[in-house]
Amino acid sequence: MDYQFDFGPVFAHWPELLQGTLLTVYLTAVATAIGLPIAAVLAAVRSYGPRLLGAIVGIYVEIIRNTPFLIQLYFAFFALPALGLRMTANTAAIAAMVVNLVAYAIEIVRAGLDAIPRGQIEAGRALGLGSLRILRHIVLIQALRVVYPALASQFVLQLLGSSLVSAIAAEELTAVANNIMIVTFRNFEVFGVITVVYLALSLLFRALLGTIHQRMFRWTT
Amino acid sequence: MRALRHTLLGLAAALLLAVPLAAHAQAPEDIVKAGKLVVAIDTTVPPYGSLDAQMQPTGLDVELAQLVGKALAVPVEFVTVSSPGRIPALLTKRVDMVISIFSITAERALQVDFSNPYGGQSTVLLAPKSRKIAGPKDLVGLKVGATRGAIEDIVLTEIVKNNPGITYLRFDDGPSCAQAMLSGQIDAMGGGDYGDIYLRKSASGDEFEQKFVLRPNYFGIGIRKHNPALLHWLNTLLFTLKNDGTLDRISMKYRNKPIGDLPPF
Repeated sequence: MDYQFDFGPVFAHWPELLQGTLLTVYLTAVATAIGLPIAAVLAAVRSYGPRLLGAIVGIYVEIIRNTPFLIQLYFAFFALPALGLRMTANTAAIAAMVVNLVAYAIEIVRAGLDAIPRGQIEAGRALGLGSLRILRHIVLIQALRVVYPALASQFVLQLLGSSLVSAIAAEELTAVANNIMIVTFRNFEVFGVITVVYLALSLLFRALLGTIHQRMFRWTT
Repeated sequence: MRALRHTLLGLAAALLLAVPLAAHAQAPEDIVKAGKLVVAIDTTVPPYGSLDAQMQPTGLDVELAQLVGKALAVPVEFVTVSSPGRIPALLTKRVDMVISIFSITAERALQVDFSNPYGGQSTVLLAPKSRKIAGPKDLVGLKVGATRGAIEDIVLTEIVKNNPGITYLRFDDGPSCAQAMLSGQIDAMGGGDYGDIYLRKSASGDEFEQKFVLRPNYFGIGIRKHNPALLHWLNTLLFTLKNDGTLDRISMKYRNKPIGDLPPF
């Protein structure tokens, strides 16, 4: 090997790396926080709502799940201005991430909804509960519990997928890594470092989601 | 203990095998022996490198690469790289050389070797005609974009540092930056003075113009360090191509102007 490893020049850029990491976490956290409630509601609409609304949600899910995330990102940043909607790079990134995450999460939550026996809904009605209360206290809470591991995986995918948004000039971790590579030319070291950072972030995110899982869905069946 | 000794022996053997291979310098005859010349090009930078209607690489850099291959009497294999991918492509030995509007800079020369220049092009600031921009100070309050890692990025990063108030966006490739310009996401962009060619070709075209020169550049062929024989041969080839008018001819073909002065170093 005639390549001399030297991590010094990379670590000298730690403030930028930290900033990039924080933006990655921020983008993922905001997209997840906005996306999950929307996905839960739209999944309920698709399963129990009026047929027309359900069909519209279905079309949305199919369009998003069958097109590349990069194109959705380009669409938000480069194409929407033609319609007069101009977002900053970070806003466009969050918007695209939410739109993408919601489509996948709807399908996951819907699988959970389908697992709830209809008899439980009827039992709720028999007890005189309103539709919204049945949805919230009987259906959604159980559905989310069933599909929680799948949802958690989707959120981690979202975290890793956020590396793509450097394409529209959002300065998250991958963009920062590329910036550092250009001034240090230390490509192995830079990508080595951010690989470790992404790995640590994913594991942390999983641990956090695991804790939430234990707190929220503690009851036994 | 015994297992450890075996492991160490194995490692030593692996090192002994690996070292002579890695330390071997690359000479022109090694490329001839390999039977092909692998060249890194960027196909997103017309008129130097782009894809034609048949999706084949074309442009000044591409034709120069073919001339190098012809001189060595080997076929040329193209590897497409982005602007920030050029040095890694060399260092990881994915290619023999980079011929991709690779501007000669002292920073880059710490990692790779450059041939004498075969062409040149200024890096400039482009903006809509309607905008009054005479110098870096006029960029304050505007959104300015550039391609990550390109010369304009290096110059603009310095300008942004010295003129607080500029919003600076880095894109991964030239087309994204041009798209940002066309969709109004940025007010001005750094680019080669060829930049107006592809902007003019796009839908809302010719309202863009060059505002001021960021830095004059010269392009060299990039190779890995410690290959003196290959470097000297490339310089010899470029000397002959310049003097027999070949470089001027391909420059006229793709850029509509002669190759210009090429100061050697």
